[in-house]
Amino acid sequence: MIKRIVIFLVLVMLAAIFLNLAANYSEKTSLSPLAHYYAEQGPAELGAANLVTAVVVTYRGLDTLGEVTVLFISAAGVGLLLRRTRRKADDEDLEKGDRAEETAGVHKPASEIVETATQLLLPMVILFGIYVFLNGHLSPGGGFQGGAIIASGTMFLLLALPESHISRLMVAMTESLSGFSYVVIGVLGVILAGGFLDNRIMGLGTYGSLFSAGAIPLIYVFVGLKVGFELSAVLDRFRKEDTGPL
Amino acid sequence: MSFLADMQISLIVLCSGLGLILIGLWGILTQRNIIRMIVGFSLLDTGIHMVMVSIGYVTGGTAPIINDAVPMAEATSRIVDPVPSALVLTAIVIGLGVTAVMLSYAVRIYRARKTLMIDECTESKW
Amino acid sequence: MVDKLVTEVLLHPLGIYVLALAAGFLVPLFDRAHRGSAILVFLAALAGMVAIAAINLLAILNGAAPIEIETAGIAPPFSINLRFGLYEGGFVLAVNGIALLGALHWLPSLRQHASALLLYLIMVMGINGMVMTRDLFNLFIFIEITSIATYALIGMERTGSVLAAGFKYIVATSVASAFFLLGTIFLYYLTGTLNIDGMVAQRELISGPVGFIATLFILTSLLIELKPYPANGWGLDVYETAPGGIAALISVGVSAGVFFALFKTLPLLDDYLLSIAVVGGATFLVSNLIGLKQDNAKRLLGYSSIGQMGLLTLALAATAQLDVEAQLPLIVGGLFINHLLAKAGLFWLADLVNRKSIGDWSVLAGRPLLLLVFGILLAALVGLPPFPGFWAKWLLVMEMASGGLYGWIAVILLGSLLEAAYLFRWFTQALQARKTDAPDSISPGKLAPVALTTLLLFAAGYGMAVQLETDTLAMFLPLFAGAALWLLDSLPGRLKSLLMLVMVAAGGAWLTLDLEGLNRIFGYILVGGGVLVSLATQYRGDARKGFYPLLAILLLSLATLLRAHTSLAFFFSWELMTLSSYLLITLGRNGVKPSLTYLLFSLAAAYCILAGFALAYAATGSIELAALGGAGDTTGLVFSLLAAGFVIKTGALGMHIWVPGAYGEADDDFSALLSAVVSKAAIFGLLLVAAQLGVRSDIGLDPAYVLGWIGMLTATFGALMAVFQEDVKRLLAYSSMGQLGYIVTGIALMSHLGWVAALYMTVNHFLFKGILFLAIAGVIVRTNERLMYKMGGLIKNMPFTFVATMIAIIAMSGVPPLTGFGGKWLLFNAIMEKGWYWLAALAFFSSAVAFLYMFRLLQTVFLGQRKLEHAQLREAPVILLVPQFVLIGIIMVFSAYPKLLLDPLSTAISPWLGGNLVWDGLALQTHLGYWNAPMIMGVVAGVWMVPLIFLLLMTLTLKIQKVEQFNIVFAAERPHRPEETHFAYNFFAHYDRALGFLVKPRATAFWNSTVEWSHSLAASLRIFYNGNGQTYALHIVIYLVALYVVNGGLQL
Repeated sequence: MIKRIVIFLVLVMLAAIFLNLAANYSEKTSLSPLAHYYAEQGPAELGAANLVTAVVVTYRGLDTLGEVTVLFISAAGVGLLLRRTRRKADDEDLEKGDRAEETAGVHKPASEIVETATQLLLPMVILFGIYVFLNGHLSPGGGFQGGAIIASGTMFLLLALPESHISRLMVAMTESLSGFSYVVIGVLGVILAGGFLDNRIMGLGTYGSLFSAGAIPLIYVFVGLKVGFELSAVLDRFRKEDTGPL
Repeated sequence: MSFLADMQISLIVLCSGLGLILIGLWGILTQRNIIRMIVGFSLLDTGIHMVMVSIGYVTGGTAPIINDAVPMAEATSRIVDPVPSALVLTAIVIGLGVTAVMLSYAVRIYRARKTLMIDECTESKW
Repeated sequence: MVDKLVTEVLLHPLGIYVLALAAGFLVPLFDRAHRGSAILVFLAALAGMVAIAAINLLAILNGAAPIEIETAGIAPPFSINLRFGLYEGGFVLAVNGIALLGALHWLPSLRQHASALLLYLIMVMGINGMVMTRDLFNLFIFIEITSIATYALIGMERTGSVLAAGFKYIVATSVASAFFLLGTIFLYYLTGTLNIDGMVAQRELISGPVGFIATLFILTSLLIELKPYPANGWGLDVYETAPGGIAALISVGVSAGVFFALFKTLPLLDDYLLSIAVVGGATFLVSNLIGLKQDNAKRLLGYSSIGQMGLLTLALAATAQLDVEAQLPLIVGGLFINHLLAKAGLFWLADLVNRKSIGDWSVLAGRPLLLLVFGILLAALVGLPPFPGFWAKWLLVMEMASGGLYGWIAVILLGSLLEAAYLFRWFTQALQARKTDAPDSISPGKLAPVALTTLLLFAAGYGMAVQLETDTLAMFLPLFAGAALWLLDSLPGRLKSLLMLVMVAAGGAWLTLDLEGLNRIFGYILVGGGVLVSLATQYRGDARKGFYPLLAILLLSLATLLRAHTSLAFFFSWELMTLSSYLLITLGRNGVKPSLTYLLFSLAAAYCILAGFALAYAATGSIELAALGGAGDTTGLVFSLLAAGFVIKTGALGMHIWVPGAYGEADDDFSALLSAVVSKAAIFGLLLVAAQLGVRSDIGLDPAYVLGWIGMLTATFGALMAVFQEDVKRLLAYSSMGQLGYIVTGIALMSHLGWVAALYMTVNHFLFKGILFLAIAGVIVRTNERLMYKMGGLIKNMPFTFVATMIAIIAMSGVPPLTGFGGKWLLFNAIMEKGWYWLAALAFFSSAVAFLYMFRLLQTVFLGQRKLEHAQLREAPVILLVPQFVLIGIIMVFSAYPKLLLDPLSTAISPWLGGNLVWDGLALQTHLGYWNAPMIMGVVAGVWMVPLIFLLLMTLTLKIQKVEQFNIVFAAERPHRPEETHFAYNFFAHYDRALGFLVKPRATAFWNSTVEWSHSLAASLRIFYNGNGQTYALHIVIYLVALYVVNGGLQL
């Protein structure tokens, strides 16, 4: 109880600090010089209509590469933590064991409504995800958003058909290769354009069209695929863990 | 509720965000169940994201996308700051990554110790 | 195009990221194809990261401009940029290098899972990013990349305790990075940029409540990530439970990244320098204090890690405050590289040893290579020479003194002493074998990364010495000699002894032959005397692993000590001498425990000396020893600190509790060296200080008077304690303590005659104590006994040893005709001349007491009845007798012609204290009388010759009845402890009743209670670590609130 009071008092103090912060905050009425530059130069310089995308993919491209890395390592981390406890050293046996247990199954099947709806909606969800990451430079959205939508499709699938199998090989191939391609595009920026992650390694195209903004759509394709597969893999790992032996 | 109407929009978001941070911290500090602590962490994270977005708001601004709605010439005067939006995108992904790892820890802790109570995980001390 | 790829990507610092990410992304694919190829890719990428850092750092060291890495083809602040300058390069190379070694160490576990490989790789890249990036938000991302990879690797082994610890770690660091994000976004709000340089350029915009709170969030976050006391329980738990591979990387790598982040954001945090210093200093001091109570090896390393980061933080804040940018690479860089190598090495070693409790580290006992590596790492961590931490701490203390930060110096020195206490307590445990030990075998391949860190420590230390423009080659000569002998350690013992003697004689001659005056005289005693007494090491034929290399280091460091012109060189040799003599004592039969006491008192003494030098530097701006005198107002304090340091090393009363153990339990021949030779180094130091400071200024007088009393009380009580010893070596130990007390008093007199007396007694003590310890070594090697009542009558077996002992005893006591008389005579004259009559009275009293214990030694060991089992004993080995009789020869010469000795002594001190010895023929004149040594010699010889001849005649002519020795034993009731009835047992019981109260072990009781008190303080300071993750998170929030309040947040 005393502890609760202490926590309460400490948070009251923190609230006082926050209040001080809020009291001295006043809304901006004009853009910061940085934002001003992006608004003025962004469309011409990078050819992206969506300024957030221009900032995310190019101006702060290193952040985004880092972000992709974060997702990659958290997926790897989840995999490492939730790996099956090894009974045999041999990997091959493990894979087989995995499948055997999956087919044995402990999940209750989902209701028919969910199953049917999933079969109907899943292609659309995935298509929508692809649309979102392909149009990231033009409209709200982008690789992460698109990837997340694709992963929500996976979630759907796993809820409706708990027994469905997600190929680990395919996941690994996609996340590795798209990540690697992203790095290669970044390096090409150094060689063909102004610097690491410069999107102007290809023509900027017609402003406002699908094929514009240099390498941004390409990067977003890789990011979208990578995020989609990685999040799916994370979901899959949480599911598999549940059935795994102790 | 007139004082709310007088408040700047971003200040409302800012205050809600800060409030959410406090609630999240309360959860982290008082909920003994690890899953609940993770929920608290998510709230804290979301609060911070709201604060970030509110900081980027420019009075009367719209989404920083240059198209028919916002012609290039008017861009600098009509859009909100795109930088915090870009940052928040990154922050969300990072928060997601941390949450995923936290949850796998929760799963593993439950496996190893048959409990999710944080105050039963105190064998390392002093 | 290809060359652009090579120069602008692969060899460029950017290549670090490209390499790590490309390899990281591809590792899972390679793993699916073939596990071995994944490991190869992983190692190649790490090696590449090391190479890129090395190539670019080298270019910068050769004068190239710092490398600015711009991204997106757009100039900053509109895009993110990174920098690779001198500081960045140093940190990155160090971290990548240690990560590569760490990967090799941890490979057996890492290789089990491809994801572990890629996590490790990307974690290292994250640290690189934290160091290099110049963008605040990008910094946040790199912190998170590092953190998430760390979380996953911590949990890799998935045991219950490591998972619990890991979860606490996640909660704590997540809250900290939430603060960082908040701070960042509000700084963006204020400055409109995320570029750190841009923010610094617009520093004035970061003001008002928002600026204050924003910077406070950044500050709190970075400090928390550095694990400040008491908000660091989460870190300790991980250090304790996680595998050494990841714990090492957290301790040295992640911390390095965060520390660098603090370093680069410091211009934004300049309002908080005091807070930063306080947090760092408190963390350093308190963690080291709490470490005293810790028995878990890895948690102990955790406390040490946290303490070291605290020290670095303090150093950073102090250098920023003092504005000594030029020294930053050496101070912060030195401390950092030292911590990095030593701590990583220790964590890995902890993995290999695989024992939780430090008590179980006894498995290392008797394994020289492991002990060597372990000892080097510990010594480096404590900041002993020649490792980088030594130089860095020296510079830090000097700069702090110039800036007047005396309180911080005290914190650093006290903290270092505490750290030494628990680290060497651990070493002590490792030295003592236990029967239950079942050591695991550790293959050389597994040890390689650890061993490599020790070599790198040496190299870094040497590099820093070169940077500081010291007389590096000469200063390191002892270590080179030691290393050479260590490589030959498998040779037979006597051969090694011979090699050592040759090396020390040659090296010592090279180092000391060009010395003059006082230094030359001490050169004869320390180097010449050292070699002479070391001849005796030939008497033992066993291998004595480690003994000869250490002895070479010790003796040569005495030579370099004499050569030192600067306080830095002096202190270096002093510490080297301390360390090597400590290690030599541990080699004694029961030397391990007393050696720890010896080390701690020696280090305390060394820190007093360091503080004294620092104050002198602050006053004079010079580290030349010759400039010590110009300390102005602080002279008195400088003198007191330096004198205190040296006097502790002589075993002054109250600080003497290390004496019996160290002198008593060391190997017998080494005891002789310690007492006869090594103890003179302290006398040399004291004379040096007195010469430079005591004489030249008038303020030196009052401390000198105190010093005189300390010396004389030490002489008295040393003698008293010697009287009641049963153990012959302890008796000699207390005797040394007492005799050095006289010398200290002589120096304190600050007069020409006083110093002549002091030097004369120094030479004399060297001569007779050398004989006595060697003679006793001979007795012990034959009888295997140290308790005097278990000996007796040995004159029949060991006549030469007896003669040597007798002459030494006469030379010691103030009776004519040998040298001891001259010493006492000079001392009394000098004391009377000064008018310190009470001291004179005490000197008379203690001389009488000294006679008592010497009589006991002679009587109970050599005279009286011989034990039955000793009937067949032979004389001591000839090689032990040789140095004794050489020393006797010298005594005889000096006794007959004291002028030979006194004149050079008088000349040597004349630069400081003018005055002449007045000779009338062969008689020395003072205002109290004269001393004609040759005549006394003649008279005494005459007086003694008559009864001697008479006695000889009696023995030859009269018939003496011999009684069988123990023929009364069964005549009466058999005593429970037969030895109690022996006449030599409790020999001075009657004096005990009269004087015993004086020698109650008060000092021991005092120091024991000091230890207990610090343990209970440590116990009460660690109550915060209750193991509950929520409490730890609460600490962090409280930290923020507290920093807010103390920095004046309530006034806003």
